[in-house]
Amino acid sequence: MASDIRNLADEEVMQLVQGGNPRAFELLYDRHGGAAFSLAYRMVGNRVTAEDITQEAFLSIWRSRTRYDQARGSVRTWVLGIVHNRAIDALRRGMVHDRRRETLDGVEERHEARERTDVEAARREEARGVRDALDTLPEEQRRTIELAYFGGFSHSQIAEMLEMPIGTVKGRMRLGLEKMRKQLTGVVLPGELA
Amino acid sequence: MTGPDHARFADDAGAYLLGALADDERAAFELHMESCPDCRNQVEQLRPAADALPRSVEQMNPPDRLRASIMDVVRAEGDAAPRPRRERPRLRFSLRPALAGAMLVLGLLVGFGVAQLTGGEDERTITAKVDDARLPTASAELRVEGDGDDGAALTAEGLPDPGPGRVYQAWIARGDKISPAPTFVADRDGSGSVALPEDLSGADAVLVTRERRGGARVPGEMPVMRVDL
Ligand SMILES: [Zn+2]
Repeated sequence: MASDIRNLADEEVMQLVQGGNPRAFELLYDRHGGAAFSLAYRMVGNRVTAEDITQEAFLSIWRSRTRYDQARGSVRTWVLGIVHNRAIDALRRGMVHDRRRETLDGVEERHEARERTDVEAARREEARGVRDALDTLPEEQRRTIELAYFGGFSHSQIAEMLEMPIGTVKGRMRLGLEKMRKQLTGVVLPGELA
Repeated sequence: MTGPDHARFADDAGAYLLGALADDERAAFELHMESCPDCRNQVEQLRPAADALPRSVEQMNPPDRLRASIMDVVRAEGDAAPRPRRERPRLRFSLRPALAGAMLVLGLLVGFGVAQLTGGEDERTITAKVDDARLPTASAELRVEGDGDDGAALTAEGLPDPGPGRVYQAWIARGDKISPAPTFVADRDGSGSVALPEDLSGADAVLVTRERRGGARVPGEMPVMRVDL
């Protein structure tokens, strides 16, 4: 019954999904579809492509559902990792290059999500916390990390764009992540980053 | 404790986690990590920061039609073994070819080169049709012994890097049933090969897609190559 499965933790829902249960999969989408779409939108900068990527990612999740391994991380991290890979593919296929520069320059459309549930409110709180952690980084570290993760650029492309040696780019990535890791304590929702 | 040649990789952990290493560099770093506890620890230390990045973005609500569109496909597939479908009513996004991939409408592949058949009676060499749009530099051929009941070997050249964490995977098509075959990677020069030990008699085609490392049970995209048997 709907009321029963809604009380299950992600990992338990995922077990039902792995058994081929469409209702459990729908619940998985309801829990993570918004974060997935938001990530895709952040990377490609337009809604239509972000919808395509989210759809592609969730169908791939459904079809490869037996490959989820709890030991290797939370369901949310797994889902977002798949969305990230799909978005990178789209960026590298050049589907969205017209919009990506705009996004990377910080010109972003804002769509305030409706606050519907406590979970959504907590997610938004978490997003603010992670953004705050990113904002504590020196500008050049934050930019290097964002170009790589959200822009899909390789270290050598970034080195060329920012006119600095590859070693410096790699160093900034490592130092930036290290600093972020320290800032993140207590920010991320419990149990969600394995 | 560090592994051999550690200095060469000392700053790679961040770039690795962000997906910013080139394919060959990533492979080299992964190999190095096997013998370098220092680098392994560093990656595990930094991973939570990289995993948090997707959570930093402004949260938006996807349109309701997206949920409906995804669930239409999922319900249609049910919990039966996923199998290719001939049509999908609600698909109207611009990624249509990629999305239709899992449905694998055989014969709908466009923009492919011409297939040809060469070789003697005991061994056939069949040239693969390659999707020029996605693999502009690739070519491949399948060598089949006799009727194919001893399997075949696919060799390809000019293969681009399939992307971080991704590999090529072969598939065997029989009617509208697609079964998974081994995955393979391209080396530095873009050549790759895969042995298909399965009995190919009665098979219609060998297909290739790009999947996540480890391979998939059902194709995640429209084939990038196709060899008609
Ligand atoms: Zn090392």
